[in-house]
Amino acid sequence: MATDVSLPRLGQGMEAGTIVRWLKSEGDQVEKGEPLYELDTDKVTQEVEAEASGVLLKILAGEGEEIEVGKRIAVIGEQGEDVEAEAEAEVEVEVEEDEQEEGSPGAAREEERERGREAAADEEPAADGAQPSRVNGRIKASPLARRIARERNIDLSSLTGTGPEGRIVAEDVERAAATPAHATVGAAPLEAEVVPLTSIRRTIARRLTKAWEAPAFQISMSADMTRAQALRERLRDQKVTVTDVLTKLAAIALLRHREVNAHFADDELRIFPSAHVGLAVATERGLVVPVIKEAERKSLVQLAIERGQLVERARDAKLTQEDLEGGTFTISNLGMYGVEIFTAVLNPPQAAILAVGAIEEKPVVEDGEVVARPLMAMTLTCDHRAVDGAKASEFLRELKTLLEEPGLAL
Amino acid sequence: MPELSYREAVRDALSQAMRKDDDVFIMGEDIAEMGGSMGVTQGMLDEFGPERVRNTPISEMALVGTAIGAAMQGMRPVAEVMYEDFLTLAAEQVVNQAAKHRYMSGGQLKVPLTIRTQGGAGWSPGAQHAQQLEAWFVHIPGLKVLFPSTATDVRGLLWSAIYDDNPVVFFEHRTLYGLKEEVPEELEPIPIGQARVHREGEDVTVIATGRLVHESLAAAEQAEEDGVSVEVVDPRTLQPLDEETIVDSVKKTNRAVVAHEAVTRMGFGAEVAAVIQHQAFDWLDAPVERVGAKFVPLPFAPVMEEFVVPHQAEVYEAIMRTVGRNGH
Repeated sequence: MATDVSLPRLGQGMEAGTIVRWLKSEGDQVEKGEPLYELDTDKVTQEVEAEASGVLLKILAGEGEEIEVGKRIAVIGEQGEDVEAEAEAEVEVEVEEDEQEEGSPGAAREEERERGREAAADEEPAADGAQPSRVNGRIKASPLARRIARERNIDLSSLTGTGPEGRIVAEDVERAAATPAHATVGAAPLEAEVVPLTSIRRTIARRLTKAWEAPAFQISMSADMTRAQALRERLRDQKVTVTDVLTKLAAIALLRHREVNAHFADDELRIFPSAHVGLAVATERGLVVPVIKEAERKSLVQLAIERGQLVERARDAKLTQEDLEGGTFTISNLGMYGVEIFTAVLNPPQAAILAVGAIEEKPVVEDGEVVARPLMAMTLTCDHRAVDGAKASEFLRELKTLLEEPGLAL
Repeated sequence: MPELSYREAVRDALSQAMRKDDDVFIMGEDIAEMGGSMGVTQGMLDEFGPERVRNTPISEMALVGTAIGAAMQGMRPVAEVMYEDFLTLAAEQVVNQAAKHRYMSGGQLKVPLTIRTQGGAGWSPGAQHAQQLEAWFVHIPGLKVLFPSTATDVRGLLWSAIYDDNPVVFFEHRTLYGLKEEVPEELEPIPIGQARVHREGEDVTVIATGRLVHESLAAAEQAEEDGVSVEVVDPRTLQPLDEETIVDSVKKTNRAVVAHEAVTRMGFGAEVAAVIQHQAFDWLDAPVERVGAKFVPLPFAPVMEEFVVPHQAEVYEAIMRTVGRNGH
């Protein structure tokens, strides 16, 4: 009895995923619970375990293809079971292009037959089953033409061959090299590098476009970070950072102004009794926002450890769906890049997001005297459907007060 | 400079070696009084006597075997096999004995033997008296294989063959015997393993052997009129092959044609094409073209023979294919 393997829904809102890598090949024995493939979903890459034991009879989804949740991606069953016919009908499987190496079968023929073949070759149809992108994938060019093109950085696919059977010969490349782009009328079209969207990039695009629908407003304040920095200095050995201090104090401020610790969900507001603070983390693959749960209840050292682990997992693309779920508020810190002030885009359905910049020594007037103070600019973006300006200001003032006098958080 | 025919050049090399060196002698069928069936050894009996110009029974195996024995004893015999088709009869002696002794004795024995033979179409000799079998022998480690195409080359290379300490199979072409060329006053030995560039050109290299050297030179003239500049290279020595000259030439012209009278299939030209594609791959602007006989026993009927073996026209057409133009 063959068992279908379908693409699972690994988290709320997951609609599709991309199989990064099959960990088993067709014909391999698979045990239930054994990792079967790596799945790239909304912001997470994780190993997915086999749902049944048996032989991996057929892989229906190729690596790199985006698959909808629920689609059949493989079949596990007993050796020798025939799953081909029904399998092929359901999902298109990438078909290896027939090897059409020029000349190799003809080499054994007689010279004159070979010559006859040349004339016929022009009408040879493309190999059946070839992917459209592969039809012209093989460029016919002489080795010399290829070498010259390589040396002069000329794209062979932009040339038309004038040799036998349309082959690009050296002369074609020489001609192209002798005709610089600026000699033609107008500027040469700029060739952009085309990068297909990764699953994570697609998620970012979808969510942030959605965020743009919200009527958002921003308010800014600067906090004197003298005491927050002093606190951080005392805990430096425990690897506590300004972000950890900020996370802790923001969580406390959120619970004091719970309207900001909310989700806006179409026809209702969801106000949360605990602050799950998301931290925007830049990775090579794109932005991810792992969440620190119940941040208000954790010590700075605990927060530092948890943040360290989440950031490391994010950079290694090892975050789980659970790491990313349940955020009630988000902090985005670009201070380490020297950014002074910026505004963040909402992270729906959250009602607010805080953008913090670098701590910089600034002149401040105190009692009629100009003194230097380390200031940090904060900009709060709010979804006006959930939060009004006054409430937002109260929250931000609370946070500013706590940063300037952390003892008030007790 | 004296002008010699290819036939006279062979005779001159043999005679000069025999005058210089008592160890050199010739043997073969009807080579004495008759002067050989192609007339190469005419007059030599008178000069050197029957001890050194020896007629043999009609047994190629016995004749080559005897010559191998003499060579191993320190002589430098030149055995004539009347038609290269008959080398098949002596194949055991050539392939299993002459080619092997030096190697199998760890160098204690050597076989300084030259086997002269001839072949080639163009005069209706039929299927059994005109084959071009050089490919058989270039495939045997232990043999050197020479195939000169001009009077100068045949004289200088025959000398080198006689004085080489290894067995040499020396192919002559029947239709070239009458071909005359000015030769150096003094016989100049031509080193084995050195190709000759007959004609320099820019667009295509034709690597040709034997009669096809001359067909290729004519085809090159014809192509020149069409604006295609052709280089013609004659390896002269097929084994060991002067790969460097061939590859250098193709790197210059970027196109190659290999041409011989032997059948194309599995021919010597296939090896040359393989050498070119491997060593000059990034210089090739067209597939290497091959010219040779059709894969069929040679017909007797003159028009059929003409049809089967290649001539100037086939070489010309191959040249034109490499530059992407139809010959005619």
